[in-house]
Amino acid sequence: MALNFQQSGSASAKRVLLVVLLVASLALATLYAREGENGPLHTVQGAVGAVAAPFKFAGAAVDAGMTSAGEGIENLTADESTLSGLRESNEALRKRLAEADEYKLEAERLQELLNMKQTYDIDGVAARVVGKNIEAYNQTVTIDVGTDDGVESGMTVMGSTGVVGQVKKADARTSEVRLLTDSQSGAAAIIQRNRGEGIVRGSLEGLLYLEDVDEANMPQVGDVIVTSGLGGSYVRGLIIGTVVRVDADKGNATGRIVVTPNDKAASLSEVIVVRGLNSEGALGSTPQASGQTAGSETADGGDGEGGDEA
Amino acid sequence: MNVTRDSVAVAVGAVVAVILQLVVAPNIALFSAMPNFIVAYTLLVAIVRPTAAGPVLPFVLGLVFDLVSGGPVGAMAFLLVLISFLASRAFVVLDNDTLFMPLVIFVAATVLVEALYGAFLLALGFDATALDAFVYRALPCALYDCVIGLVLYPLAARVLAGAAPAQPGTPRLR
Repeated sequence: MALNFQQSGSASAKRVLLVVLLVASLALATLYAREGENGPLHTVQGAVGAVAAPFKFAGAAVDAGMTSAGEGIENLTADESTLSGLRESNEALRKRLAEADEYKLEAERLQELLNMKQTYDIDGVAARVVGKNIEAYNQTVTIDVGTDDGVESGMTVMGSTGVVGQVKKADARTSEVRLLTDSQSGAAAIIQRNRGEGIVRGSLEGLLYLEDVDEANMPQVGDVIVTSGLGGSYVRGLIIGTVVRVDADKGNATGRIVVTPNDKAASLSEVIVVRGLNSEGALGSTPQASGQTAGSETADGGDGEGGDEA
Repeated sequence: MNVTRDSVAVAVGAVVAVILQLVVAPNIALFSAMPNFIVAYTLLVAIVRPTAAGPVLPFVLGLVFDLVSGGPVGAMAFLLVLISFLASRAFVVLDNDTLFMPLVIFVAATVLVEALYGAFLLALGFDATALDAFVYRALPCALYDCVIGLVLYPLAARVLAGAAPAQPGTPRLR
């Protein structure tokens, strides 16, 4: 009774098919885990991802559409109290106003990116976020520049306030960026005030943790954390975030130090893929990071002096 | 191969589920929870059509999910084949002709799929603790899948099960 397959095909044939598909799935998973990034399954996955990219573009449009629809509903509600003859023109004006607001916000975001680019003298390429990952375990976004634009795997990606992630893989026209908040991410970092080194890691909670910090150089709340460039994974001198909580102390370096991320996937719209930095960035002797992050005020005093303690 | 109204309806539903996963799911994520339309649809089909549902649909949908999501290829395919089979068998055995039992089986199957997917990722080297993976991803995602499933269940029961009225054990809304 429990294994009754009477609809189509014999019960035994379905059982065999079930076992075959289970074994095939496990074999695929094993092969995927063992092969390298250039293995056949990874290649097929990359190709399918490229095919699915237009749907992700559509997803971004749906997201924008949902926002507009929400604004439209708000407008509609507001119009109920107006005269019927003016409703149409009022609606049109409101729509234009909403569009203008959207353009204004976009211009402001782009201006912030431009400021960041000029402040740090960044050699990079601007990009739009056109897609997000479709499963919960990976925090990645898709951007609309690829190898044709000079983007390569491993390049640092910045938002308007600092580092947001790293290019995971790049196709001709699009690239996948792993956000710093992803639990698989890690960046060699330095505390701007006292030059203490550590590793910033993402987590499933969506928080950034500063780990492996030397007991002599424990950070304080408000300290700015900057990429150190060690290991070559991230460009040196870019702001990662600000320390907001320190549970560790000199006698307990294993405690947790929480850093605010610069941006989250949901709020990312435009980014810069950094090809290189023509300055010392936030590690320069005269930091120009003021205003870039909430905690940048702390850079005014101690930066560049290499002191041991706060 | 017989192309019936049933199989066409199931196939169309599968395509819609994939498109919803690609287009809609990333934009309706709540905090760390993202719904999985593919999981919800596969389990709904397994419960709504317990005797007719085979392992091919779960395998194909799971594989599609693995390929487009960037996760380990084969993981979701394996879990959907296994759990949808168990869900359909459980429904055949436990069905008491009320709405309660299919929903209980659906919720249990969803939690199982999400939890085992997290375990699969951990086994393949995902850098997190089992507790974090369950608390911050598997459980919220499973709850979101359940909401999606509960919303879609009446539609699935009407469209998919309605196309095959001769099937025994098809749940009826009461």
